[in-house]
Amino acid sequence: MALRSIWNGTIAFGGVFVPVKVHSATEDKTVHFHEVHVDDGARIEHKRICSKEGKEVPYEEVVGGYETSNGRYVVLEKDEIKAAAGPGSRLIDVDEFVQAGDIDPVMFDKTYYLGTQDDGKDAYRLLHDALEKSGRAGIGRWVFHNREYLVAFRPLEGEDGVLAMHTMRFHDELVAADDLDLPSPSRKPKKAELDMAGKLVESLADKFDPEAFEDTYRERLLEYIEAKGKGKVQSLPKRSEASEDPDDLMAALEASVSGKKS
Amino acid sequence: MARSLWTGSLSFGLVNVPVQLVSAVRDMDLHFRQLHEEDKAPIETQRWCSEEEKEVPFDAITRSYELDSGKTVLVTDEDLEAVEPRRTRTIDIEQFVDLGDVDPIYFDHPYWLVPAGDDEGAARAYALLLGVMERTDQAALGRFVMRAKEHLAIVRARDGALTLTTMRFHDEVRSAKQVPTATGKSAKPSKEELDTAVSLIEALAADWDPERHEDRYRKRLQKVVNKKRKGQTIEVDEGSDDQPAPVSDLMAALEESIAAAKKSKKSGGKKKAAA
Repeated sequence: MALRSIWNGTIAFGGVFVPVKVHSATEDKTVHFHEVHVDDGARIEHKRICSKEGKEVPYEEVVGGYETSNGRYVVLEKDEIKAAAGPGSRLIDVDEFVQAGDIDPVMFDKTYYLGTQDDGKDAYRLLHDALEKSGRAGIGRWVFHNREYLVAFRPLEGEDGVLAMHTMRFHDELVAADDLDLPSPSRKPKKAELDMAGKLVESLADKFDPEAFEDTYRERLLEYIEAKGKGKVQSLPKRSEASEDPDDLMAALEASVSGKKS
Repeated sequence: MARSLWTGSLSFGLVNVPVQLVSAVRDMDLHFRQLHEEDKAPIETQRWCSEEEKEVPFDAITRSYELDSGKTVLVTDEDLEAVEPRRTRTIDIEQFVDLGDVDPIYFDHPYWLVPAGDDEGAARAYALLLGVMERTDQAALGRFVMRAKEHLAIVRARDGALTLTTMRFHDEVRSAKQVPTATGKSAKPSKEELDTAVSLIEALAADWDPERHEDRYRKRLQKVVNKKRKGQTIEVDEGSDDQPAPVSDLMAALEESIAAAKKSKKSGGKKKAAA
């Protein structure tokens, strides 16, 4: 089955146009619940109530207001909000190409796959291969669902011929480390502690294999709910707890390293 | 400092670091309040019981899950914790990896880790873990449960602090195998085409600087709000739905684009001004 696309358009850099289809690269596997009333287990409904009249308001009578000062709102119509999206073009406009490895991963938000359209396959292939050869990522703007995003696109590693595209966070959306309230310990880690910790890191170092990490919680949660539904909640096995004394770091490190080796 | 979203411990072998998680991202969006069109009064969302037709206070609400049989089961906070008690409070470091080995496609939400509490032991254990990760340039992988969901997480040193990014599990990342591409021989570019395309990319190259890219959408929306406040009309540009046709002569398009890029660099021509 072919992957459904969520957007069709064209990547434009210089006078070169690359027709692409955008596909979601990720999906959410979270277990979803309904809100219910504790007393009778009945579903909760959300009602929109006018704060002045105290009565329910149908959706058609709801407008968006931006609060300019206490209790004063500027009302915007839906198509006025849309106007901010910029021209609803079918272009991903490339601003520049940067070294892909220079982008800190905290910038990346959602990921999409770019696929070819029926036309312009050779242009797609050329863009992919040239990015691969130069080690660069394209930085551009993409208008999707009435909002303009900053995007980066690059060849997907280990996957033949596929371009991946990330929507990006803006620099002022990131909280800087300077804004954190980090306590400083009275002394820095000793060299011996760092060396021992380094050994522990080394003993745990391995290649990343995504399939080595399963979401065991999702499965266990669903099993637990099934059991609860049948009226038999089994007691789950307790796991052993690690030592809780952070004062003797060196002893804990040594014990961890020797535990790893045995 | 930002509000703590999770408190627990980061466990590294037998070393435990009490930590709290704060978001590394702040919401800069303009927020709109729902208003009743008639009287411009704010809309309140109230939670009502569907059976009794009355409002339900927040603390009388719990979750339920619908089984395949149609039967519903109430699920309390205690139930959620009982499923994986340790992972609800502990991030166990399971492995260390090179950050570059992990494709960013797995990354979800970034957080900062800060030591929880004022005790010296926590600060020291935190400093040690930070120090060793800075020195070895390795990132740690672990799993933990937050808000009824288990997360794979990657922890690394960044700007003198530990940052944690939640990750997607492998089955939450779709296979790219079905993405239509052009891997066939017929689409393979000639050496000349490839070299020219690389030259064009280099002509349009820049150093990555996040501060050069502003959220133009946010700015435009702010402008729309300001205009509307002054009673000005908002022009809605419908844009065009047309796509430029792919060029038939790729080589010619590449060469023209390189010439244009060089010319614009030489004349010190600024990049397209933000609209």
